[in-house]
Amino acid sequence: MVLSGPIAAAERWLSLSPRGGVHHEAMAPDGSVRPHWRGLIGWMEAAGPEGLAATARELERARAESGIAFSLGPDASTAADPLPVVISATDWQAIEAGIIQRARLAEAALADVYGAPEQGHGRLLSEGILPPGMIYGSRAFAAHCAGWETPPARYTYVYEADIARTASGEWVVLADRLDAPLGDGWQIANRIATSQSFAEPFLDLGVRRVASHYARFQELLDSLTGWEGRLALLTGGERDPRFFSHAYLARYLNAALVEPGDVTVREGAAFVKTLDGLKKIDVMLRGVPDVSVDALHRQRTAAPGAPALSLAVRSGALTLGNAAGSSVLAHRALAPFAHAIAGRLLGEDLTLADAPCLWLGDPAAQEELRAGPLGTGPDAWSIEPLTRRRRADDPPAPVEAAALEALFEDDPEAHIALRIPALAETPVLRDGRVAAAPWMMRVFACWTGEEWSVAPAGVAAEIPPGGPIPALGFGKDVWVLANADDQPSEPSRSLLADRLATGHLRRTGRDLLSRVADEVFWLGRNTERAEATLRLLSVCLRRYLSGNRIDADPELLLRIVSTHATERPDLTPPQAFRDAVRRLVNDEAEPFGLPATLSALRSGAVRARMSISEEGWRYIDRLSSDPRWREGLDLRQSAELLRLIEDAVRNLAAFSGAAQENLTRNYAWRFLEIGRRIERGMEAARVAERLAGGELPNEESTLRAWLVISDSSSAYRNRYMMMPRAAAVLDLLVLDEANPRALAFQLTRLEAVLAELPKDGPYRRPEHRRALSLLTELRLLDADTMAQTDDDGVRRTLAGLMSRCRKDLSEISDLLGRGFFAHSEVPVALQHSGRAEHEGPIGRERG
Amino acid sequence: MLYEVRHTTTYSYARSAAFSQHLLRLTPRETDEQRVHATRIEIDPRTEAITAETDMFGNRAHVATVSRPHGALTITATSRVERQAPSQFIFEAGAPWEQVRDQALGRGNAPPVPAAAPFAFPSEMTKADDAIRAYAAESLAPGRPLLAAAMELTSRIYTDFEYVPGATGADTLPAESFGAKRGVCQDFAHVMLAALRAFRLPARYVSGYLRTLPPEGQPRLEGADASHAWLAVWDPVFSWVDFDPTNDIVPGLDHITLAWGRDFADVSPVSGLVVGGGPQTLSVGVDVKPLSAEAA
Repeated sequence: MVLSGPIAAAERWLSLSPRGGVHHEAMAPDGSVRPHWRGLIGWMEAAGPEGLAATARELERARAESGIAFSLGPDASTAADPLPVVISATDWQAIEAGIIQRARLAEAALADVYGAPEQGHGRLLSEGILPPGMIYGSRAFAAHCAGWETPPARYTYVYEADIARTASGEWVVLADRLDAPLGDGWQIANRIATSQSFAEPFLDLGVRRVASHYARFQELLDSLTGWEGRLALLTGGERDPRFFSHAYLARYLNAALVEPGDVTVREGAAFVKTLDGLKKIDVMLRGVPDVSVDALHRQRTAAPGAPALSLAVRSGALTLGNAAGSSVLAHRALAPFAHAIAGRLLGEDLTLADAPCLWLGDPAAQEELRAGPLGTGPDAWSIEPLTRRRRADDPPAPVEAAALEALFEDDPEAHIALRIPALAETPVLRDGRVAAAPWMMRVFACWTGEEWSVAPAGVAAEIPPGGPIPALGFGKDVWVLANADDQPSEPSRSLLADRLATGHLRRTGRDLLSRVADEVFWLGRNTERAEATLRLLSVCLRRYLSGNRIDADPELLLRIVSTHATERPDLTPPQAFRDAVRRLVNDEAEPFGLPATLSALRSGAVRARMSISEEGWRYIDRLSSDPRWREGLDLRQSAELLRLIEDAVRNLAAFSGAAQENLTRNYAWRFLEIGRRIERGMEAARVAERLAGGELPNEESTLRAWLVISDSSSAYRNRYMMMPRAAAVLDLLVLDEANPRALAFQLTRLEAVLAELPKDGPYRRPEHRRALSLLTELRLLDADTMAQTDDDGVRRTLAGLMSRCRKDLSEISDLLGRGFFAHSEVPVALQHSGRAEHEGPIGRERG
Repeated sequence: MLYEVRHTTTYSYARSAAFSQHLLRLTPRETDEQRVHATRIEIDPRTEAITAETDMFGNRAHVATVSRPHGALTITATSRVERQAPSQFIFEAGAPWEQVRDQALGRGNAPPVPAAAPFAFPSEMTKADDAIRAYAAESLAPGRPLLAAAMELTSRIYTDFEYVPGATGADTLPAESFGAKRGVCQDFAHVMLAALRAFRLPARYVSGYLRTLPPEGQPRLEGADASHAWLAVWDPVFSWVDFDPTNDIVPGLDHITLAWGRDFADVSPVSGLVVGGGPQTLSVGVDVKPLSAEAA
């Protein structure tokens, strides 16, 4: 098919814009569309600009949906270009072979660098193939992993490479990702989103699937963990920009998602801290940089709470992929010597070359760089760290001669100079029109037991001329076409959807991490706290808007709002009410205020999101990320504020519903429930205590407000059909075990769930006993005794009981913390002993 | 010279600690001039597990784990070590520093020297700044034998720096102690290592003990000794030669070697992790007791 007729003439929106002398992915030099692109171009042509735009919007939405579920911030970069890159079967064969060779090269080189000379290793250094400064001059070198009597079976299990096609058509490697790659979650999520949005061309072209690749990896992991074993994926947590990928991949591979503080090393094995004590981990995929995972051997750089991970690896009890120490050859460390290493260790010629890369520890390289030019433009050398990407807190790359000389003097071994050549271009969508831009892609490989497997796909991105290499999250999907002669060895139907649908079939129950139990518990408490404040504000705003003389009396409103807002006795009631509303809605320092509560709610939900349902998470996200919270609304926009608050109440109710309906009754659910009941019980006690303070002015109106806040007014009407009276209201809000808002109801549920927690011995646990005794006390009380007032009009029995309730509930919370979350306490470093402080042989004073 | 060395480390915790894990480098090495007749480590409370490992520098390390609640922990390492007098070198006969560097790093036609190369580069705790580099340059005239330059640096550091216990911490970097011109033996060793490695000269950190002699007429005080640190410099002919900038001497019969590495972090005698326990106090006692006056 030659572009002629409609495209060439009228349809200028679909211009492939080739540039002379630059390889174009979709268009051959003679102006014809390359055969493997014809399907996609033809589909775009048929879809037209509107159809393509709609597909792009759909893709954006699909990305956002999966992205938002795992990421804390807005930096999930869902805004990547929508157009896939199509790779022909022939091109892919070359890439695949090159990537497999490179992964083998990395494995062989790591084994040689860390292996003992007595076992035939150390050849690269001792034969001068690799200069010693490359290894010993690099802070990434893990001395504590070198020379083990029994080295790990392998150093690498996963390997990723950033590759690009040059303008003249050669594939080159831009970076080796060896340290903590695990970007597979991005690739899978990206593929799902793209294949759904571009369903028609995706299916018609017979794009190769990634499922069988990951199925092979899963098989290997299963064989390594064994029947009873555990697989874990180590992540830096929600603040790590790679958390999305880690969480997604962990769910996909059925791995426990753990953070360094969840792991402890005892008796030479790694354990994860769960509610039911320590559980052994057999295989761990490492998503945390290797300098951060060993608190004993690398105390200075270890992550907070990190265990002594290499002890478990050295004893052979833990398989770590990739091994600690693999970062020494990561990023660009292999590049300057890859040809020589391949020749020596593999006896092969390197099939996939590197983009030009000079190691600064080499005097000849220094000489070449002095001739420049430096910077990021095309043909310029950019100076980068040897073993990782440049970070924002690194000193800027030298571009001037003086800075360059200073670097040569100071730390040349830890740096390289990279030159990204002019690159091939691929179609991109720009302002609704198809254009062409230089591009690169990341490809993903894993060890399958006998050989490497490369996922027939990738994540691609535009790259500005000369770099830098963009940080990849979501990106352009890479479509690899099957060879026409190939038998379809891959399942035509994707296994991905099936796997993800069964994602909740994880072994749960007592395997719940202590940290997660803690997080889910607080999620429950924060949900209730948010709901209480929202309901309170909603009632106050309604009354304020009603203008009713009695109900909207500022003094009354102030009294209601003061159960949650800090009091300001220096202001008049109308001022104080206005100020309290403003603070509850906008002031981050207000303890029960919405900014603090909602942000705790959201970050708690992010941390606990593997344990709550997908749907439940979305409600929380929608509620707490609502942009209207940032508009600084107050009483002046009370109607708008009320709408926002009611939306939020609805989302919270939906979350509670989702939690009740969609969560199996495992330990995570129980701790969520316990958290909710404790907080709601405290809230009920707090309100009842307010009502104990003696005869209230406008008592009827106040009582009515509390009935509305606790969603119990219809229950009251049904039962009493009369104006609210204190004894009747107290009965409903405190003693009524059938009212889901009553204190007694919370204690009944709390007692029941606490009874189901694991016990250490034959007796009830202390927090359970406490709840039971509180509940019994309430059950033995009647409403009239409770409503009795003394001569000053104060309900002393009620006041005493409610204050004890709050204290006991808070103690139950503490007891749970000590009993179940204590494992989540993390280790800290001990002071260095033996710090060498020696004076002189004869104890003489020095001058 | 035969010694019995006892090194006692005690951690006391404000609250009961649930778990602790310790990395111990308390076992003296065998060297050409040092024989280890006996060595043992005792831990109170008893540990569930103590494992031994050898690091890439050949040091023997132990990892001890206590996973029962404990309020205090005492680690006692006792060794009987025989020390012989070192060989005497004429430092001016050593190889020129440029040649040592090129040979160690394999910059000529020959491959690098595996024993020396790991120690030629600045480590985390031995990074030089411009001031240290300039200080080193004064002793590294072109063509000067490295060992002679090292002896001069040893003396200069001894003269230029003030020994002030407590002025620096275990994590102090050489740029800071160099700026203040004060510190303890660890700092002096780090400064000199930084100075040499700024020129990519192979030198290693040595951790050990030093026998102290009581003032004349007074008895030797038990437990009053301390651990010590110095460094060793590589020469293609003489191999590793020790220098002690804290005392301006070439270590001899009074120095007992524990372990060596790139810097303090590689050989810190006792380090570890604790869960719970709250505020901790640490006390260390070292006792270097001569058992005989003569080498056996």
